[in-house]
Parts: sequence; structure tokens; C-alpha cells
Amino acid sequence: MIAASWLCLFAPLAGTILILLGGTRISRVAAGWISTVSVFVAFAGAVGAFVGLHGESNRAGTISTAWTWLQSGSFKVELSVLIDPLSTMMMLIVSGVGALIVLYSIGYMDGDDEERRYFAYMSLFVFSMLMLVEGGNLLLLLVGWGLVGLSSYLLIGFWHERPSAIRAAKKAFVMNAFGDATMALAFFVLIAHSGSLAFSTSFATAGQLSQTTVDLVALGLLGGAAAKSAQIPLQTWLPDAMEGPTPVSALIHAATMVTAGVYLIARTYPIFEQARTIELIAAGTGALTLLVAGLIALVQTDIKRVIAYSTMSQIGYMFLGAGVGGYANGMFHLMTHAFFKALLFMGAGLVIHALADEQDIRKMRGIGALMPFTKWCFLAGALALVGVPPFSGFFSKDPIVASTINLGWYGWVFWACGVVGAFLTGVYTFRLWFLVFPGEPSELVRRHFGRHSTTATDGLDGGPLHADGQGTQRHGEGPWTMLVPVGVLAVLATFGGWIQFPPHWEYVTNWLRPVAPTLAVAVPTSTQESVTSVVVVLAGLAGIALAWAIYGTERVSVPGVPGLRRLLEHKFYFDELYDALFYRPAAAVSSLARRDFEEQVVLPTGPDLGQTALDAGGLVRRLQTGLLRTYVLFLAGGAAVIGLVFLVTR
Amino acid sequence: MLGPGVAWYAALAGFLFGTGALGVLIRRNVLIVLLSLEIMLNGANLALIAFSRHAGNGAGQIFALAVMAVAASEVCVGLGLVVALHRRRLAIDVDRLSELRG
Amino acid sequence: MSTLVAASAANVLVWIVWVVAGFSCLASGVAVVSFSNPFYSALALIGNLGSLAILYLLLSAEFVAAAQVLVYAGAVMVMFLFVIAYVGPRMEAPWAGGPSWQTLGAVGAAGALLVEIVVVISLKAGDSLGTSAAVGASFGTPAWIGRIFVTDHLASFEITSIVLLVAAVGGVILGSHTRRRASETVAPNVVEQREPVGGAR
Repeated sequence: MIAASWLCLFAPLAGTILILLGGTRISRVAAGWISTVSVFVAFAGAVGAFVGLHGESNRAGTISTAWTWLQSGSFKVELSVLIDPLSTMMMLIVSGVGALIVLYSIGYMDGDDEERRYFAYMSLFVFSMLMLVEGGNLLLLLVGWGLVGLSSYLLIGFWHERPSAIRAAKKAFVMNAFGDATMALAFFVLIAHSGSLAFSTSFATAGQLSQTTVDLVALGLLGGAAAKSAQIPLQTWLPDAMEGPTPVSALIHAATMVTAGVYLIARTYPIFEQARTIELIAAGTGALTLLVAGLIALVQTDIKRVIAYSTMSQIGYMFLGAGVGGYANGMFHLMTHAFFKALLFMGAGLVIHALADEQDIRKMRGIGALMPFTKWCFLAGALALVGVPPFSGFFSKDPIVASTINLGWYGWVFWACGVVGAFLTGVYTFRLWFLVFPGEPSELVRRHFGRHSTTATDGLDGGPLHADGQGTQRHGEGPWTMLVPVGVLAVLATFGGWIQFPPHWEYVTNWLRPVAPTLAVAVPTSTQESVTSVVVVLAGLAGIALAWAIYGTERVSVPGVPGLRRLLEHKFYFDELYDALFYRPAAAVSSLARRDFEEQVVLPTGPDLGQTALDAGGLVRRLQTGLLRTYVLFLAGGAAVIGLVFLVTR
Repeated sequence: MLGPGVAWYAALAGFLFGTGALGVLIRRNVLIVLLSLEIMLNGANLALIAFSRHAGNGAGQIFALAVMAVAASEVCVGLGLVVALHRRRLAIDVDRLSELRG
Repeated sequence: MSTLVAASAANVLVWIVWVVAGFSCLASGVAVVSFSNPFYSALALIGNLGSLAILYLLLSAEFVAAAQVLVYAGAVMVMFLFVIAYVGPRMEAPWAGGPSWQTLGAVGAAGALLVEIVVVISLKAGDSLGTSAAVGASFGTPAWIGRIFVTDHLASFEITSIVLLVAAVGGVILGSHTRRRASETVAPNVVEQREPVGGAR
């Protein structure tokens, strides 16, 4: 178990280092396979850790320390991993879904010039995320947190010749940095108070802090979680992050990194439970985000951005679930979401790849006829996302909504948000599906698939031309490296939810009970559970029906509320708000300082520093005579000075 | 020990050393610089022998012999350099030889 | 009483010899660095070596004195004279060239070193320099040197021989004729190298 955990942590790092050392000596495909194998090895390690922990009777958590870096009294800084139910669950998700996505990348990134760098970054990211979830103390959690931010920046800006990608990477990094700062401050308060970096000690002594302090600590943690998970008010970076390659969006911005915030809340739940107000604010943030994101997703025209806002919305559900105290619900939704969201992204990637990097869904109608495998897998993912039984989303989403009932008046507000959110999910997801897949192929689709109209699984003789003019023969919908992960995830999205069906069988809740027990107030009665399930499913189906009516059969036209449409298309004007709040004042202050202070005051009166530096340099330059004798003179002079010093001091 | 004490010898050695150092720092002819280096080495040798006699320890004389051997080797190589310089028609002038070229 | 007289007579003799040898040592040293003709400098150095040999004799280092005359004055200086003759006459004014502060700085540095040495000797080590150890008659004799070379100081003996070997090889390589490649021409204008920067105007 312990060896398996260490293997899980370091295998992707070994992959990164191998690719970096290999450089251009290894082929691009080899780099891809090195990365994939390393993450699969990590998955094997995660399975080993899981099985090992399963066999243990006491599952409160084992900490295995490899190396102590600093030790001062009771304060120890160690390289250690924590093996407990929560961390093994995350390890399985991260390495399992990650392995499938890296395998998919081999096909997706084929032909890119800088493929090796991509795979090095992907392995680095998997290592960072594993460090985050496996880290045995607060310091390693912070290290992993920062490293995933770095990997995200590197991968969003992977196509660095595109200015939009660079801007998006910077935006993501800066917003995450804000969250990192608040979280680090919260950790510093904890560490200063408890004098130790270990989770258990820090959380236990948090009880001695005053309520205000605990509230502030929890608020700092929430800031970090909200930034990393793209919740309001720090959510504007996620849609822009779609500039990165699609597998990056699948791995980082759907399945793993953005869920780190939920993991953080579950990991630090003792702090949150002492700052119950803040925890409920977290739930409220989640509820608000899931509504806002769902609304914005209704008008998006980029296939990846629809799925990105869907991610934002679903993470809102996870925050809602964890915020009210149902940590297992939030983690379970994290798991199923990883399955179906990665599936949706990879399916979208198959479509994008087939249409030579076209991402506008208004041009994509009817591709389902030519890509049936993609169509059915995408449908499975969409149904799971909406929460239609027996797909996985049903099992994970409904308990979250049901757990809000017993909280009081705001519980009912959350409940309503959850139901409306399910309706919106149905609408935007199937708006996407109906616009892209069924029907007659559009002009663009026909152009890329030659003359074939109904079947596309045989080799295409006409051969679609890629945008780069290579004109490769495409057999089927994509190489097996892309189709197999999609298929596996489709199966998982369909059947993966069956491990928990409250209140009948609750494997996930029982598994996580030693480390993240559900609060009593978040456990609904079975009647509340059943009624909520029915309502949510009906809301989802209603959304599907509406989408079918508008986009599928086009019987009903889109209701036109002009102001609303503009508001949604501008994403509720968050970007403009931040621009006015932060950028413009900073720019104004700096230009004011330059114009009025520097040019009027500093330059005329102060010494011309530039000229002074030049003069001093000229003086020193005269020492450089270029003559050997001069340098020997300096030697002798130096010896004389040293001798003098020795004479005087001794 | 008959005659002056070791302090006198040491002072004389210091003078020799200083004179040699002055020659190295001022003269431009490579050969004269080498000669001045020899003077410095001899000053050191004198100090060694003097203190060896003062302490009654033979190590000083051994060291002086080693210094002599090393000085001979260094002169050999240095003069070889001068010969090579002369053969390539380069100036035997420390100031001119400021670039390692050729 | 006679021993005292003998001792004092011997002392006076030694003092006289010391003064003469020391004076010639210093004078020849100054001569080496001041003559403009390198040939004369080399001859002055030979004088310096000879006076040093006398001083070594006064210090009971007979073998080292003999080695000084044979090796240093005999072999090394002969080599020097050969090369000086080969290179030809080059007269240069000793105090010319270089930046203005070079000469001044050189005198200052050398003078500082000298003063420090003298100060160290007189002030700091004054006590322990009073009485010298009494040495036996065999101190400094060739047999004695030979014995300690191969017993106490064997390492330095071996290393010195290696240094000599390396120098011999290096001298041969440096002095050998390099094979002239067709592309390599000895341009006569390399004698004109750039003026040293920093003010040799």
C-alpha cells in the first residue's frame, strides 16, 4: 500500500524527467507513450493503494514519510504521503481518468511540432495533482496546489504563438494566484497557531482559535477553492482556458484541477465545520454559480465553451454538496463528473479533429450521421450530465439537491437552485447535442467528409484535407488511441454511478466516513430523497424536451428577450466589471505617476542617475588597461593589503 | 650562530623579494621579467635557508632545493615560450602580448 | 678567554663577510631590474646568485650553496644567456610604458610588502628570533641532505623529479619547429599589435 502510493506519486514525475532528458533524441510518439505509460503506472499504484487500504481495518489514514527536510523541535517539514480513503479516491480518479486522457492525446496531438513538450507538461500536471491529493502535510498540499496552477498555465498557453492563448494563460494564472494567496494566508495562520504542518494537529488546534480567526481562515480556504474551481467571483478564467488543446481542457479544466477546490473543502472540513457560516457561504457560492453558468451556457456558440460553463455549473453542485456538509455527495459527484465531463470534452475533441479545428457549433449540424460512435458516446455523456437514470449523474446529483432540505429557509433556496439548475442543464446540454449531431450534414461537415453521407466507418477515399494541408487518410472517426478512451469513459459514465444509491446502498459515503463524515443536517430522509430525485429528473427531462422542441425539431423558436440575450452573451459582464474595478484604476494611477510625478518632479531635480552610472563606469574602465603588468600590480597590492590586515589584527 | 641573527637574513630576503616584485611590475621586456622572478625566488630561498638554520630543521633546505628545481623548470618553459615568440616574429614585450592569439 | 677572543674574531669575520655579500646581493638585485640591456641584467643576476651562495655558506647550508652555483648559476643562467643572445639586442627604457599610475603603484606595492616583512620580523617575531638552535657539524652537508631526502622528505623528492620531467617535455615541445601549414602564414604585421588601452599616450 505504501510503496504503491509512492509509485503512484513519482511515476508521472519520472515520465516528465525522461521526456525532458530525451529531448529531441526521442521521437514525438515515443514521448507520448512515455507519458501515457507513466500515468498508467501511477494508476496501477493508485489501485494498489486502494486495495491495500481496503484491507486495513483502521482507515483513519496512514502517513508514510520518506525524508525529513527540516526539523526544529516539534516542527517538522517532511516529504510524506497521506494514504486515507479520501486521498486514494482522488488518486484513482486523477490517475485513471488522466491515463485515459493522455492516451487520447497521443492521437489528438499527433503531428504537432511541440508534442514532446506537451507530454512533458501533461506528466508534470498529473504529478502535481497527485502531490496535491496525496501530500501528507500542509506544505506539500500548497506545493501541489501551486504546481497544478503552473501546469495549467503552461498547458493553456501551449500554442504560444497565439496571443489569445497567452492572454488566457496569464488570466488563469493571475486569478489562481489570488486564490493561492488567500489560501496560503489561511494556512499560515493555522501553522503559526499549531506549530506543526500535519493535518491532524493543525485542524485539532483550530478549535482554540477565536471564532473570527476561524472564520477568516475558512474564508481564505474558500478563496483558494473558489479560484481553483472557477466559482463566482473568480470564475472568468475558465472559459478563456479553452484556448488550450482539448485534452488539456478535459483533464485539467474538467476532471481534476478544477475539482481541487472541492477536495480542499473535504480535506479541511474540521475548519469549515467550526466556521459554519463560511461553509454555508461556500454552498451559496456553489448554488449561485450553477445558476449563472447554466444560463450563460445557453447562448454559447463554441462547443468547448458550452462544456466549460457546464463544468463550472457542475462544480457549483459539488460546492453545494460539500458546503452543506455532505462531503461524500460532493466527492461522488466529483467522480461521476470526471467520467462524463472528460467524455464530453473528448467527444468534442473528436468532432473538432474531424472538422479541422472548427469549433463553432452553428456550422456543425448533422455530424452524427458520419460519426456514429462519437454520437452515441456523446449522448451517453450528455444523459449522464443531465442526470437521467440509470446514468451516473442521476446517482450523484440528486443526493446533493436532497441534502439541502433540512437546513432551514436557505436550504429551500438551494433546493430550488438545484432543481432549476437541472432544468438548465438539460436545455444547454441537449441544445448542444441537437445542434451538432442529428440531422442532415451541414456544408462544412460534408466538405470534410467527402461524399459519404451515411456511413463513415470505412476508409474515406476522398480523404478530408486537414487545415494544414496534409490530407491524411482517415479511417473511421479517429485513431484507436482516441476512440478507446472515449469508449471506456462512456461505459464508466453509464455504469459508474451504480456504486452509490442512497439510501439503499452507499459505498462511497461509507468509504469516506473515517475522514469526511457527513453532517447529520445534510442527511435527508428517504421520502425527501425520493421526492427530490423525481423532481430533479423531471426537471432534467423537461429541459431535454425544451431543447428538442427548439433545436431538434425547430417547432418553437428561441424566446427573444433582447436584454437578457445580451447579458448572457457578455457573461453577466464580469469581465467588464473586473476591467473597470482593477485594470483601469491601476493604469490610471501609473500614468498619473509618470506624468505628474516622475516627469515633473523626479527628473528635473534629482541627479541624473543614468549619467552618474556612466561616469562611474568610465572611471572603473580606466583600470582595465589590458596590460598584464597592471593585473599583477593588483595582485601584489592585494597581497600587501591582506598582509596589512593580518598585521593589524593579530 | 655566528654573525648576524636570523632577523638580518630575513630582512635581506625581504629586500630581495621587494626588488624582484618591482622588476616584475615595471619592466616590459619578457626576459627581464623572468630574471626578476628569479630574484624573488632567490629571496624566498634565502629566507627558507635562514629559518632552517635558526630552527635546526632540515626541512627548510629541502624546500629550498625543491624551489630551485621548480625555478629551473619554470625558466625552461618560460624561455621556450620566448623562443617560440621570437620565431613567430612577435614582440618580446609584455604590453604588446596582451592577446592570446596565434 | 682565547675561545672568547677566537669566538669574537670569528664573529667579526663573519659579520664582514655578511656585509659584503649582502651589499653585493642587493646591488646586483637592483641592477637586474634597472639595466636596459637584458644581457647586463643576466650578468648581474649571476652576481646575485654568487653572493647568495656565500650567504648560504654562512648559514651552514653547504650543499644548497653548491647546488646554487652549479645548477642555478651554472645551468639556468647559461640557458638565459643563450636565449638572450638568440633573441638579440632589445633595449627598452625600464620606466616607460603603461598607465601613469602603474609605476607609482608598483613602487608602492613593492614597498608596502617590504615594510610589512620588516615590521613582522622586528615587531612580532622579535622574541623568538633571539637565539638560534645549535646544530651539529653534519648540518647541511651533502650526506645529511641526501639522507633526509630519501627518508623524511621522500615525497617532495619524487614530486620534484616529476616536475622536472614535465618541464623538460614542455621545453622540448615549445622549442620544436611546428609544421607549417599552407594556410598559416606568419604575417609580419602581427608585430604591430593594438596599443594598450588605458592611457599609454
